[in-house]
Amino acid sequence: MTPEKRTDSNWAKVNTWLMDKIVSTEGSLAPLDRDAIFKRPKAKLDYQVVLENASRTMIRFRKPERLIRMIVRLIDQELGTTHTAVLLYKEDRKAFVLIDSKGSEGVKIPVNFIRMTFDNPLVKIFASRQNYMISDTGTLSHGDLKSLYENKEAFKTHPDLEDQIDLVIKQMMLLRAEVCIPCYYKKDLIGVLVLGAKKSGQKFSRQEIGFFMTLANDAAMAISNAQLIENLQEKVEEVKDLYVREHKIFIHTAIALATAIDARDPYTHGHTERVTQYSLCVAEEIEGIPEAIAYKNFRETLHISALLHDVGKIGCPDKVLNKRNKLTAEEYEKIKEHPVVGAAILTPIKELSDVAREIRYHQERYDGRGYPDGIKGTEIPLVARIIAVCDAFDAITTNRPYRKQQSAEIAVAELQKESGKQFDPIVVSAFMLAFEKGKILPFSSAKRAKNIPKT
Amino acid sequence: MYKILIVDDEPDVCDFVKHFFEERDYDVATASNGEEAVRAAKKQKFDVILMDVRMRKMDGIEALRKIREFDKITDIIMVTAVDDKERIGEATRLGARKYITKPLILEDLESAVYEITSSLKKDTAKGEPA
Repeated sequence: MTPEKRTDSNWAKVNTWLMDKIVSTEGSLAPLDRDAIFKRPKAKLDYQVVLENASRTMIRFRKPERLIRMIVRLIDQELGTTHTAVLLYKEDRKAFVLIDSKGSEGVKIPVNFIRMTFDNPLVKIFASRQNYMISDTGTLSHGDLKSLYENKEAFKTHPDLEDQIDLVIKQMMLLRAEVCIPCYYKKDLIGVLVLGAKKSGQKFSRQEIGFFMTLANDAAMAISNAQLIENLQEKVEEVKDLYVREHKIFIHTAIALATAIDARDPYTHGHTERVTQYSLCVAEEIEGIPEAIAYKNFRETLHISALLHDVGKIGCPDKVLNKRNKLTAEEYEKIKEHPVVGAAILTPIKELSDVAREIRYHQERYDGRGYPDGIKGTEIPLVARIIAVCDAFDAITTNRPYRKQQSAEIAVAELQKESGKQFDPIVVSAFMLAFEKGKILPFSSAKRAKNIPKT
Repeated sequence: MYKILIVDDEPDVCDFVKHFFEERDYDVATASNGEEAVRAAKKQKFDVILMDVRMRKMDGIEALRKIREFDKITDIIMVTAVDDKERIGEATRLGARKYITKPLILEDLESAVYEITSSLKKDTAKGEPA
């Protein structure tokens, strides 16, 4: 067997091993189809093919630790080094920490056991890229460094390098490293690959060094990408949390406001809560229609609008709100201002511009005879049309100064009678659906239900 | 030849540190937990004990306390994780000579032991004239 052939079969072995990794589901985003890989025209199996495959494997790794473990194992198996170790830069430690290693007993450096800081001569030379002054590939070999160090001629032009090389040699001896390979991502040194000598005593070939250089840099890229994705995911989670928290605070504020409004009006006690409840039930029946989908956030807009639909009553004098007798025309005009006042209260809150609009129009009629603007049909936004129906249903089923409460059945009949006139027929149908499903539990029947055990 | 005792419940660590110091001409023994360490220290006199803090069975602090009951002079270096500040304080009170934080800087490990043994050298040179 010629030496070249032997190398070839060696690379073939590496290639097969890598193939296994590529097609295995472990660690990769999605397994590749094994057949598809092997059906490709058979190139000469050399390190370039292996490289290509390795690179492809790299970018598919989600967890960089697995990738690193794979590289370390690959080196250990294929090159037969006394030991192999990978140090990665850890931001929290401000140091390079050994995150994976392999090797014979006692020589292998335990995982997480050592760190190297930026004052380490090896890290220094790599980080400053002075390694490229010594070796064109940037990898540092103990043997080469030693012969360089002994050749005093070389330092005539760079005298400062002599001491540095001495320190690097000592550092490599400490690590028992034959070859050290830097991993860069963009401009930064993010890792160092440490290889012990080959057990066979052979030197590393240029081909092998080149292979691991490329491997290391692709790995660096994969690691950085994975870290980037991880950071991004953390950020997304943070924003999500913040949103959920703020949203909760917001809804609670709206509830508090609504309760305050309700408290002022003894006749409509619990009105807001019920209208909100009914509206959410209607929303469930209707949220698939294009008009609902067109909302940025239909459910939320509806929820907040329903909670705040009467917020404008803050502007009504108590004597009008609490009046038992029929309102005078003037008083009625005062009450009729509440949608406009409510919208005006909310307008300064940029996030509630949608809600302000719904509140302004919740007293409009489908036929255009409502107030404040007398708009009709789908000119009235959907949420406002829903609140109008639920508002009316609650008004009919509860006691009012001017009218006794009616049963849910009478109220529903009333809604149907006004369908297409006062109310949007689609919303009335949705209300009917919810009602028939038993989701709408009116004030009167709820009260009646509560009273049953007593009677 | 100086005698070192390495105490760590991770066999990889014991192996590595043993090998590391043997290459530097030390006589190295290992123990895989606090109990073994106390027993070994009772049996023979070490120049330096390298003691991991976190260990199953008996941890490093307890072993240090037990060893100090019968041996006040052996230099003991504690090896701790970064977040073990409280236990570092306790170890110092109990008479640990110094501590190294893991992941450690390899030179620190070498120099910590070397500093202790080289100071011993002076003492022996004084005590036992050649």
